[in-house]
Amino acid sequence: MHILIVEDDEVARDYLAKALREVGHAVDVASNGLEGLQMASSMAIDLAIVDRMLPKLDGLALVQSLRATGRKMPVLILSALGDVDDRITGLRAGGDDYLTKPYHMSELLARIDALARRGESGSGETNTRLRLADLELDRMTRRVTRNGKKIELTAREFQLLEFMMRHSGQVVTRTMLLEGVWDYHFDPQTNVIDVHISRLRQAIDKDFDKPLLHTVRGAGYSLREDE
Amino acid sequence: MRVAGRIDGPDQRFLGVLDTSPFRIAVVFSIAFACGAAALLLGVDYAVSRVVDGSTDNLIEAEVQGLREQVLVLSRADFIELIEQRSQDQDVRGAVYLMVDPQLRPVAGNVPMWPKIDASEGKWIQFKVSVPFGDTTRQHEMRAQRFPLPGKYQMLVGHDVQERQDVKNLMMRGLIAAVLLTLMIGMGGGIWMGRRILAQAGAISAVATQIMRGDLSQRLPVRDADDEINTLAREINSMLDKIEQLTLGMRTVLDSAAHDLRTPLNRLQATAEGAMDQLAPGSAERRVLERVTSEVDRMRGTLDALLRIALAETGTVAREQVDLSALVASMVELYAPVGEERGIALESAVAPGAYVQGSRQLLAQALANLLDNAIKFTPDGGRIRVLLRGSSTEPEVVVEDNGPGIPADKREIVLGRRVRLDEARKFPGSGLGLSLVAAVTKLHGARLVLDDAQPGLRVSLKF
Repeated sequence: MHILIVEDDEVARDYLAKALREVGHAVDVASNGLEGLQMASSMAIDLAIVDRMLPKLDGLALVQSLRATGRKMPVLILSALGDVDDRITGLRAGGDDYLTKPYHMSELLARIDALARRGESGSGETNTRLRLADLELDRMTRRVTRNGKKIELTAREFQLLEFMMRHSGQVVTRTMLLEGVWDYHFDPQTNVIDVHISRLRQAIDKDFDKPLLHTVRGAGYSLREDE
Repeated sequence: MRVAGRIDGPDQRFLGVLDTSPFRIAVVFSIAFACGAAALLLGVDYAVSRVVDGSTDNLIEAEVQGLREQVLVLSRADFIELIEQRSQDQDVRGAVYLMVDPQLRPVAGNVPMWPKIDASEGKWIQFKVSVPFGDTTRQHEMRAQRFPLPGKYQMLVGHDVQERQDVKNLMMRGLIAAVLLTLMIGMGGGIWMGRRILAQAGAISAVATQIMRGDLSQRLPVRDADDEINTLAREINSMLDKIEQLTLGMRTVLDSAAHDLRTPLNRLQATAEGAMDQLAPGSAERRVLERVTSEVDRMRGTLDALLRIALAETGTVAREQVDLSALVASMVELYAPVGEERGIALESAVAPGAYVQGSRQLLAQALANLLDNAIKFTPDGGRIRVLLRGSSTEPEVVVEDNGPGIPADKREIVLGRRVRLDEARKFPGSGLGLSLVAAVTKLHGARLVLDDAQPGLRVSLKF
């Protein structure tokens, strides 16, 4: 994937570029808003990571200009402001996701994967049936089966599983789950998400040989069929 | 003055008018004016009566005196002649005369019969006589004196005072009408002014409510007039301009503080993570860097909490209609499994349909802090209760645990910034949890009360 990083902080930018290259992305960098806008408009960029406060052209203005010229690539906004309202203004300006500094690289990588997947399979949202190995989820009938056997889930567990299945094969972080399933944007002091995941795990993995819901150390969870 | 925003029905609105100061002033003044009018008319009446009554009485007394002298020099026949003459001279409405024999039968005069009165000589007598009035007759009030004549005959000399009585009655009616009219005009004016004030005050208090909810761009409505209310509204508006400037200034300071703290933290995180990638898992150096990143996490947590508290305190948070019932229910649902892990039952009773204006995210954070705290301090196997009760527009959220609680004398101070009671130091946390709850509560115009749940802590948020 071709990723453009627009970030004025050199230390953060270099590490970000390096980390993204290490996981196999092609990376271009810009250190101010104007340069970033020119590159994003002229090059074939799959995804842009834009800092919110940039010299010459503000990050939000950059995203707005991109959207105004019809560029639809996913944009992740990085912000050193980051609170309730800033997040909303960031998304309203045309950002697809919003991450507050300081962030863990694992969090950023997980979010980039999710954004990229959303970009390439836009039709995935409309699928009524999600399937992973022998696990099946029907969004219309709200029925979940594994190996043909019906699994009883609460409404929230169903939502949680649906979210995990839409991101199957990817790493999903705790904050992504709290945002995506509950629509809350804060860091809970307690391990709320872990407890919900362990309940879901009980429901879908307990009676079967091959576990599907995996814990990714230091990052989050992943629903996948393998190893 | 009643808050116009709370007035709902037409009856309430009318009662609202009765509570306004213009109405009260109008009532006081109209009563005073009515009393004045009454006093004036009564005074005039008294003066007029004195003059008119006095002259009538003098007239009668002079006539009595004259006749007393005449009776001494005239024979009875001549005296009767005199009485008849005088009676005919006068219309009955004027002077009246009556001479009766010892059996009280009329002998001479213009009064048909001796009145049924028993008054001694020299005293004033008042009685009524029928007099022709157009085709009918009418009772007229008479005022008279009587004196004895020789041979047990008696004489009555008096005057018709009906006109005087008519004038008095008319004045009394005028007096009552004047008092009533004054009161009516006064009250009517009071109600009219009251409604005007209420309308203006209502518009002002509606805007004031919005401003208090954090929309500092609102201004009080000002009419093109220089009356007291408009002048006041203009002054309040310029005060609001100043507050808005200050608040925006604070927000700017807050934003740059956030930026200046988050940027180096981010660099620190990036540097540590970058260095960690080069190191073998489990190596001593890597463990040091892991500690660095976990400290960065902690600092970020504290910074987030502080910034959110400051943000809530500036009041510059975007507001929306928040479904509080749904929010509370979902927070309970989010935290219930965490409690269950430790055998803590999270009971809840959430009344549906409660809405508040505010920030859903900040309210969620506040509730999360309360639930985090409750779970943290409740012993294994304990109980936590979450209630949402009260009316749909003024709901109350209660979070109650049966943990150790907070001693009554320390409840105030734990709401202050970064206060951790010694008893709480063995638990993890920044000590900002309740401060954030307090700031968020204040932002939403709610009241935060800490109480004894016997045993345990009861936290109540009254919106």
